[in-house]
Amino acid sequence: MRKVTAIFVLAIFGFYMLSVFLTIPFGEKRDNVGQHYLANTVKETGAVNTVTSIVVSYRGFDTLGEVTVLFLAATGLGAILFDKKGKKRRLQHASLIVRVGAHLLYPLIVLLGAYVFVHGHLTPGGGFQGGAIIATGVLLMFMSYRSFETSHKALIYIESLAGIVFVLAGFSGLIWGQSFLQNVLPLGEPGRLLSAGIIPIIYIAVGFKVGAELTGLLDNLLKTIK
Amino acid sequence: MNFSPVHFIAVPLLAAFLIPIIGRFSKEVVKLIPGAVLLYLSYVAISLYPHTLQKPIVEIIAGFKPPFGITLYYGPLAAFLVTMIMIVGFVIWLYSYKFIIREPLEKYYMLFLLVIAGAAGIMITGDIFNMFVFLEITSIAAYSLTAFLRDKDGAEAAFKYLLIGSFSSTFYLIAVMLIYANTGTLNIADIATKMQSVPNQPKIFIMILFMVGFGIESELFPLNGWAPDAYSQAPSPIGGVFGGIVVKASTYAMMRFAFVLFDFRSTFEFILVMGVITMVIAEMSAMRQQQIKRMLAFSSIGQMGLVMIAFGVGTDASVQAALFQIFNHAIIKTLLFLAAGYLVFHSGSKKISALDGLGHNKPITSFFFALGALAIIGLPPFAGFWSKLYILTSTAKGGFLTVIVLILISGIIEAVYYLRVVSRLYFKKDVSKDSVRRTPLSGIVAMGVLAIVIILIGFYPHLILEYIQPAAHDLIDKASYIKFGLLN
Repeated sequence: MRKVTAIFVLAIFGFYMLSVFLTIPFGEKRDNVGQHYLANTVKETGAVNTVTSIVVSYRGFDTLGEVTVLFLAATGLGAILFDKKGKKRRLQHASLIVRVGAHLLYPLIVLLGAYVFVHGHLTPGGGFQGGAIIATGVLLMFMSYRSFETSHKALIYIESLAGIVFVLAGFSGLIWGQSFLQNVLPLGEPGRLLSAGIIPIIYIAVGFKVGAELTGLLDNLLKTIK
Repeated sequence: MNFSPVHFIAVPLLAAFLIPIIGRFSKEVVKLIPGAVLLYLSYVAISLYPHTLQKPIVEIIAGFKPPFGITLYYGPLAAFLVTMIMIVGFVIWLYSYKFIIREPLEKYYMLFLLVIAGAAGIMITGDIFNMFVFLEITSIAAYSLTAFLRDKDGAEAAFKYLLIGSFSSTFYLIAVMLIYANTGTLNIADIATKMQSVPNQPKIFIMILFMVGFGIESELFPLNGWAPDAYSQAPSPIGGVFGGIVVKASTYAMMRFAFVLFDFRSTFEFILVMGVITMVIAEMSAMRQQQIKRMLAFSSIGQMGLVMIAFGVGTDASVQAALFQIFNHAIIKTLLFLAAGYLVFHSGSKKISALDGLGHNKPITSFFFALGALAIIGLPPFAGFWSKLYILTSTAKGGFLTVIVLILISGIIEAVYYLRVVSRLYFKKDVSKDSVRRTPLSGIVAMGVLAIVIILIGFYPHLILEYIQPAAHDLIDKASYIKFGLLN
């Protein structure tokens, strides 16, 4: 009986939701803030990647918040899985082929991750994506080598310093400009690596931070496997 | 560099990012950081207050004018609430300073700071998606703090909270999506101007999504199943944080949206009815509880129901009464949680029956608990009396006589279960085994500060009414919110 009621309620809710969503016109040119971003990105932020300009410049404050959300998730997990005695990963040894392959791929993956976040204002991708790519490289090494360890201390320093850089970049806008997170550096020539003001600085910090946080998370979680 | 509202977010974030590094050198310094930050922010909040009376402070972030960038809207209401949570946060920090908290200490303080920063963010942001980000910060920190003691019950409570909380955020996010699809903007003031042109069907759906989303976090019936578990399983100071800070933030958001975006009659009627149901059911459940912190949690839900009733009446006087009740609940419930924390610690059990005779053995903590209990029931020389009186008179003026009867009946139930605990503290034989451990000085000072405020406001309610009046006008006056929010 409970299941029938639940399905009934869900069906009504779903139908209503669908009918609301069907009223939204997709793919049409509409009068919204998005049009402003598309027209003015390069002029106002110097970034040729519009998505990045929205994420880091127009809505940079949200990104600071999202970075904090990830930081909180890592901190919370660290608090809940906290163990005074350092644990060891208990994965099986990987085969020779996997180990040699991982060893070859690892530096390339890290390089790709770094490329993605350094070029965040020019090409698709950015700090979050670059950091995630780096963490997958580390995960590959974790899975292949039981003895592969990341320095806990280094991860903490990277995480914290990158966060501090982001907040201080925000304060620099307040000190030398009018508002928090405002760009105070020259915009440069659009399309060049050194352009778009503080966007590359923030994205490099985010890349380091996300990479370190996800690595720490994976390390924490892999060590709980019995 | 002048003070500006962005400090309420940026400074705690900076401190939270610094804590892991400092924690490598000294744990003692880590313990002091949240106190210093909250003290500084209380100072910023107090010194910004006079400016908000002339004109709400609208701060642009990243130098893009609204609606293209994010703005912070810091009016008298935000100023009132932010000042309140910063001071309550500082008092809770003072209490936690000597409270036995499990390792990892620095993570506890990071989460503690960020939960307060997130709540402040919800209160000051003028952007609907930015509010989502702060909602996430607040709730993720709250989930982790619930499970902080790493026991089985804590994990269960946190998991329950996590599941229900994810519903809340998902509903909120879908609502934001629909709003953007229909109005093409995320700035709350800008949305308010474009809301008329949105057809009714999406509008009602968006409203339902928001009400469910915030209803979960503001403990509205029937969405409050997470609250009793989370309150009772989290470390004691965190119970105070939930009741005094987290709930207030989402209640604020719900009210702001009701007054600015969905200001039609049926919204308020809906809030009123839900408030009544929440209050009655919560008070009856509180009556049945065997554990003291669960009882406080249900009482907290009941009090929020009362706040919802006052908001639902929707007049100027009732909104003032609601804000007064929010303030009183923040200080009184925090005092009760802090006192209950040490009562549980001294009696060694979470059960109410274990508190017999503690009034003789631990006079100071028991006194604070009794004072908080009398204040929250609404007895005359304490702060709780005035807010309840104002709620009753403003509801009567609104013409909701049945509601008044229900409020009074709930008041009696509340009196019964609180006095039951107080009578156990004082009129039962002493059975406690523990007379060695004492409540540390920092805990007594923290509770004492709250107790003094409760008594002071009980005798001089105009001290706080002075701040509530402009705050209530700020909430009700939609036209000025739009005007200042868009920087016209």
